[in-house]
Amino acid sequence: MIQAFGSLAISFFLFTHAAVADSRQSAYQLLSPTNQAMQNDMNLNPALFAIMDGEALWQEKSQANGKSCASCHGDVKHSMLGVFATFPKIIHQKLQNVEGQINACRTRHQHLTVFAYESKPMLALSTLIAFQSRGLPIQAASIGSVKNDYESGKNLYFQRIGQLNLSCAQCHDDRAGLKLGGSVIPQAHPTGYPIYRIEWQGMGSLQRRLRNCLSGVRAEPYAYGSKELVQIELYLMHRANGMIIESPGIRP
Amino acid sequence: MSRSSRAVVTFSNQVKRGELFSIRAIVQHDMESGFRHTEQGVRVPRDIIREFVCTYNGRPVFRADLHPGIGSNPVFIFDAKADQSGVIECRWSGDNDYLTVLQQPITVL
Repeated sequence: MIQAFGSLAISFFLFTHAAVADSRQSAYQLLSPTNQAMQNDMNLNPALFAIMDGEALWQEKSQANGKSCASCHGDVKHSMLGVFATFPKIIHQKLQNVEGQINACRTRHQHLTVFAYESKPMLALSTLIAFQSRGLPIQAASIGSVKNDYESGKNLYFQRIGQLNLSCAQCHDDRAGLKLGGSVIPQAHPTGYPIYRIEWQGMGSLQRRLRNCLSGVRAEPYAYGSKELVQIELYLMHRANGMIIESPGIRP
Repeated sequence: MSRSSRAVVTFSNQVKRGELFSIRAIVQHDMESGFRHTEQGVRVPRDIIREFVCTYNGRPVFRADLHPGIGSNPVFIFDAKADQSGVIECRWSGDNDYLTVLQQPITVL
């Protein structure tokens, strides 16, 4: 009886999981074939320079105490394997994304000043760490461990904001696949971040993208590293749970 | 003292004599067009790569002039004919004493 119930539960899980996976789509699917090729081939993907810069920074010793990232974490290919796929998560009672954790490590263990969001060294390190999760599924933090932040992030996602009085959901759930201006509205899954965006002519984090959307609906964007943006990141990772990470992605 | 940056040149390192093979060259550069302004309205001076040259054992096989309309991290993909083993050199030069030179060996069978 228990066995029968177990297999029923498993088949129910598989069914619902497959049904969800079918309807979800990475914005990669909306790229032109040339941009898809640029993302796939790491000898053509311009984010490779961010990764190379990140590898140099990973080894760079702090002038304060001689510690580098590698002193604690060792080889990035092993220690950071799949790590990006699990962020944001609670570390020392605080919801942290990868950028926040990089800065926490810098201040706590290397006795250095923080990197500014979107600065080249920050993007280089976050891209290097994200790259170690390329091809792996997103494993968002369990809702139990982040309950309050998850609820806040979900509320922010459905909250109408700005002069245009639009919520994230009204575009990215209700109108995904339709057009905004000349472009297809994507489903807003954070599978490719940090991305090399051709419009930006460089790398950018998920928070940069979120702030773009916020100013797009004429709302005052939350500050970089703010609690609200990390909570939205968390909700988006839950929404995309199980999808494959493509970082570093190319977006037009 | 010239400024330099990262570059990656990809081609198959063993090719047959007389065959065409593809060379792909990408270089790290912001290609600042000179037409942009800061939020304070100050013009950002132009800082671009001006010329790309690829030589195969000293003979030029590809040359291009670059202009402000070309985006950051420019990529060139072109073909060369395998002649004899030696060195493929890619050379990017530009504003503010920018110079990046990359040499890679090629083996012709």
